[in-house]
Amino acid sequence: MADPVGEAPKEAPVVIRADGLGVEFKAGRKRRRSLREFFIHGTRREPDHGAGYWPLRGVSFAIRKGECVGIVGRNGTGKSTLLKLIAGVLMPDEGTVTVDGRVAPLLELRAGFNDQLTGRENVHLVGSLHGMSGAMIERNFDAIVDFAGEGVRKDIDKPVRHYSSGMKVRLGFSLIAQLEHPIMLVDEVLAVGDKAFRKQCYEAIERMLENDRTMVLVSHNEGDLKRFCGRGLYIKDGGLALDAGIDAALDAYNADTRAEAEARTKRKKGGGGKAA
Amino acid sequence: MASRATAVWRDRRFVSLLVRRDLKVKYQQSVLGYAWSMLEPLALAGIYFFVFGILFSGGGARTAPGGPDAPGGYALFLLSGLLPWLWLSAALTDACKALITHAKLITTMKVPREIFPVAVVTTKFVEYLLTWPVLLVFVFALGGRTGWSLLWLPLVIVVQFVFTLGITLLLSAVNVLVRDVERIIRILNRVLFYSSPIIYPLHMVTQAGLPGWFTTAYELNPLVGIFQMHHAVWYPSEAPGLWPLVSTIGGAAVVFAVGYTVFRRLESAVLKEL
Repeated sequence: MADPVGEAPKEAPVVIRADGLGVEFKAGRKRRRSLREFFIHGTRREPDHGAGYWPLRGVSFAIRKGECVGIVGRNGTGKSTLLKLIAGVLMPDEGTVTVDGRVAPLLELRAGFNDQLTGRENVHLVGSLHGMSGAMIERNFDAIVDFAGEGVRKDIDKPVRHYSSGMKVRLGFSLIAQLEHPIMLVDEVLAVGDKAFRKQCYEAIERMLENDRTMVLVSHNEGDLKRFCGRGLYIKDGGLALDAGIDAALDAYNADTRAEAEARTKRKKGGGGKAA
Repeated sequence: MASRATAVWRDRRFVSLLVRRDLKVKYQQSVLGYAWSMLEPLALAGIYFFVFGILFSGGGARTAPGGPDAPGGYALFLLSGLLPWLWLSAALTDACKALITHAKLITTMKVPREIFPVAVVTTKFVEYLLTWPVLLVFVFALGGRTGWSLLWLPLVIVVQFVFTLGITLLLSAVNVLVRDVERIIRILNRVLFYSSPIIYPLHMVTQAGLPGWFTTAYELNPLVGIFQMHHAVWYPSEAPGLWPLVSTIGGAAVVFAVGYTVFRRLESAVLKEL
């Protein structure tokens, strides 16, 4: 395997620093309460006091400029939560996270698109929401539409509700790919799109990383992780289990998965034996 | 709080984007666009004029400031109360959805969350401003008069904006956590409408021989002063005195402070819930 792109020199400045990061979800808030419950039980009888559930707790790390860090771990261990905390769209209940520089969140590519407006209007709207100036959007407009592909180009002046979901994602990605924010957060978005578009995305991300940008990537695709990332954070049960090279992090993750699978088969066998 | 205010000010561009988008979507969806937006206030004014100006003419038209022969008459009185009322009531209805409809945006992009309630109030304010040409048509047709009393307008707009924003901040956050607030708002809308001097002049309440505590409680509602000011633009006799004025401005400030405090305290929980 070739050397990953995102390898930062040791002396580069820290751009993302997490310090004892933790967030608590209320166990009793899985469904929304109605007013009736609210008045009858008030806040006292809420089962969450002391019974909170921490999807993430006590996580500390520092990411330097130009690094590409992969986050690995099983489903539901708090990977996306961590990304949201870095993006600033979730507020930590414990600890702090400081981010130095603007963040381009590739968390949900269709975010902010309005179905009633045309593709062109949406590019202007969402681009502005991401902090692009009108002139910048105008300048990059053709590049954005070209990147999104022929289907989008043809329908750029039609309302987005007529787009296929693939087209929306393409337009969303090509818009965000034009952002010049120094920090990128990527959550599984590489899994969308057809093969040709995925290749395009890879190239775009490599180009961005070459420009000394910082990236945090959440993925289950080992190929993606090894391709881009130099470093890996292995998140296990809401805590940071390992902060090391991406290969070491993946090895630890795979070892744990194997061990668990073995334990499960054993349990099954054991259980079966007892029943017999 | 000051730093948050500057953050919102720095991102006021977002507010204008959201406002322009909402107006665009609204007026693009139907050919009649603007005409539709005027249909509701005019229909309402027509109904109230029929019921209170003609059927119960003893109650509305004759007791309107200056009697039925005053410049503008009861019809202008109705319109000058109904148009700003629709700004408030539409904002209250949209307030509940202010954060929920933008859930995707809020959970992926870091923007000060206050801009969404601010955008709701601003959008409805712009729609209110757009009703002014029609109001002016009626002013000319009915012979309404104004003068120095026009100066009430900038003041009442600021007070109403602050008041509406306070409620909108409160509702937008609370409704994410407790969803049926939305239903209460529909009732509250009705209650506020009839408990404010919008379609009837204030002196009908103060001179109705009601117990003193009731009148005092009635006048504590900041909306009383707000609609008095709206009416005072065309009917100088309706101008609120110093004390009601102070209590209205103070009331709006308190509502805003409470709404903003609740919004900030619930923000973390709201982000988890969205």
